Amino acid sequence: MNFSQHLNRRDFMKIAGGTAAGLALSPLLSSSAFAAEAKRAKELNILCWEGYNSDNVLNPFRKLHKGIELKAESGTDDPSMINKLRAGELKVWDLINLNQCWARQQMWGEKLIKPLSKERFTPYIEKMMPMFYNKTTGINPFALSPDGKELIGMMQRFGPMNFVVNTKKISIKLAEDEGLPMFLDPKLKNKFGLLAWDNWNVLHMCVASGFTPYKMHTPEEVETFKKTAQTLFTNAKMISGDPAQLNQALINGEIDAIFSGGTYTCSVARAEGFNEVYHISPLRGPVNGKGSLQWFEVTSVVNNPDVSPLAEDFLEYVQQPDICHTVAMAAASHNPVSQMSQPDVFAKFKKEELNCFQWETLEADMTRSADYETIPDNDLLTSIYNEAKRSRG
Amino acid sequence: MSATPSVPAPKPPREFSPAFFGTVCSLPFFLLMLFGFVAPLLCVVWFGFMPAKTFALLQMPTFANYETIFNQTYFKSILWSIGLATVTVLTLLVICYPLAFGMAKIFRGGASFITYAIATSLFVSENIRLFGWVIGFMKNGVVGGTLAKVFDVQIDSLLYNIPVIILGMVYVYLPFMLFPLVLGLKMVPDQVREAAFDLGASRWQVFKKIDLPLSMPGVLIGSLLVFVLSVGAISEAKILGGQKVVTIASDIESEFTYAQNWPLGSALSTLFIALTTVVVFFALGRFDLEKLLGKKRSE
Repeated sequence: MNFSQHLNRRDFMKIAGGTAAGLALSPLLSSSAFAAEAKRAKELNILCWEGYNSDNVLNPFRKLHKGIELKAESGTDDPSMINKLRAGELKVWDLINLNQCWARQQMWGEKLIKPLSKERFTPYIEKMMPMFYNKTTGINPFALSPDGKELIGMMQRFGPMNFVVNTKKISIKLAEDEGLPMFLDPKLKNKFGLLAWDNWNVLHMCVASGFTPYKMHTPEEVETFKKTAQTLFTNAKMISGDPAQLNQALINGEIDAIFSGGTYTCSVARAEGFNEVYHISPLRGPVNGKGSLQWFEVTSVVNNPDVSPLAEDFLEYVQQPDICHTVAMAAASHNPVSQMSQPDVFAKFKKEELNCFQWETLEADMTRSADYETIPDNDLLTSIYNEAKRSRG
Repeated sequence: MSATPSVPAPKPPREFSPAFFGTVCSLPFFLLMLFGFVAPLLCVVWFGFMPAKTFALLQMPTFANYETIFNQTYFKSILWSIGLATVTVLTLLVICYPLAFGMAKIFRGGASFITYAIATSLFVSENIRLFGWVIGFMKNGVVGGTLAKVFDVQIDSLLYNIPVIILGMVYVYLPFMLFPLVLGLKMVPDQVREAAFDLGASRWQVFKKIDLPLSMPGVLIGSLLVFVLSVGAISEAKILGGQKVVTIASDIESEFTYAQNWPLGSALSTLFIALTTVVVFFALGRFDLEKLLGKKRSE
């Protein structure tokens, strides 16, 4: 039995037809692959914190790249945004903008992000403020992979994040001196609001309890944390996830202070002239002697198998002095940016714009602040935090 | 001998049975429900059995998430959600029944106006409408500011308490109670009411023996609709109530976001769906809708 014996006319027609169809389809298939590639070249999807999704940030980039489909979606907490990637949206997003700890401590290990070109971006980093690039220590480690070899994101917006007071009711000196434990004072019962940003709340509740969040806690410390959480939830007059609602309550005198808040949450109110809305960076505390915390955002390229070639272009675009200013003064939240060490960037800011993010004391505030990091026993503390919140009613 | 050529009888046109036709027509809806409703729901139920803090569906199933739920105080959130929804339903029944009666039986052009006015409010996002109340009720807001200006009366904020949460829920879900009630009351024949009055029945007797039983389909549908919607409400307690209470929807949201614990969030969702289903089926079991709508003879 050989091949020729079985090849009849019908088989021949089948093979010929199949070959012809294959030949006819092959350019089509390659052209569809090409079309998909071409589509990605004109598409960019950004998952970010409020601000980068403003039209005043995005529109100039749209003008630079005619016909681009540029989508930016804002999240209200870091874990939710990471969850989107974990849930299969790796193929959707090109850039992700989160607070400093997540890129290095979670996303890099889970292969959710990919490294940036060091040659392309190091020159920009070298011009950033000393806390982001230092000639002796180099690039801030949160922008690097744990082994220090890869650049995993670009740093831009930053700020301290502790609590906010109405200076007409509580003096800056007193608040800086007492720090977060001030909120446990019965005198402040029903006089403060709680900004329900769970991650930050848990960090701040640890500091208010008198210990650092960045370690495994002893049973005694966990018990203290529980009491702190219960006291804060019981004593808070209102809880909201919306900083604008809390700022409104602070301005109209319903509350005197906000537990968890910073430049990010109060700068817009200050820009509107409400200078009594003031962010506090406590003078001392349990985090290696620091009682204040700070964040900065690291924007990384998502490990999208078909990542947009415009992703790194966008990161380079936001380094331009004009765009740095636009990013800093984005509609929803005004924040200082790492490029303000450059005279041509700094010159873009007016006096009142600097005032809205408390520029006069910003360097001192940042110096006495510890980095925002993930908490080793976060699950346990978050569970206690949620229990305390539920028990409020 | 002549043979008549046999002509084959024409084939009768192929007829589809109504059942076959119905099946084909329902196929798009069936597929939509299967992939858009049943499949995601099954995913949520299955995810509830996955180990905590994981993101994959293919792992060894466990009851650990349900143990966590029963060992912690989630029952408080569930009770708050069910309690607030029940109060909302009862309040809306009291508010909407007279209005629906007016719209069905008394008002003429006015009924259309009220319908349009209430339906238009649905075009505005729920959160925006709730923030409208915040502006009204906050300290020195529209209410407080007006009282201070006109009557020199100083009041504190009216927000961040349980009554204001209920007010928000009543306001948001009013259309879902009102319109089924109007339809239910339109089903009450005027002749029956008139006959009852002619036979000497009092207003209360007419309401009790005729209006309420005959409008029960509207009452039942409106109540179920409002209950199911309001039991999953989240914004009212957050925006107006300043999270004075934590609803179960808020807990579920928290597990899926900050806590990064999808399995626990799924287990909570499953438990809550099951609870709501039991309540709804219990209500439906008590009131036979088919019988109320007159499609089934009473035994």
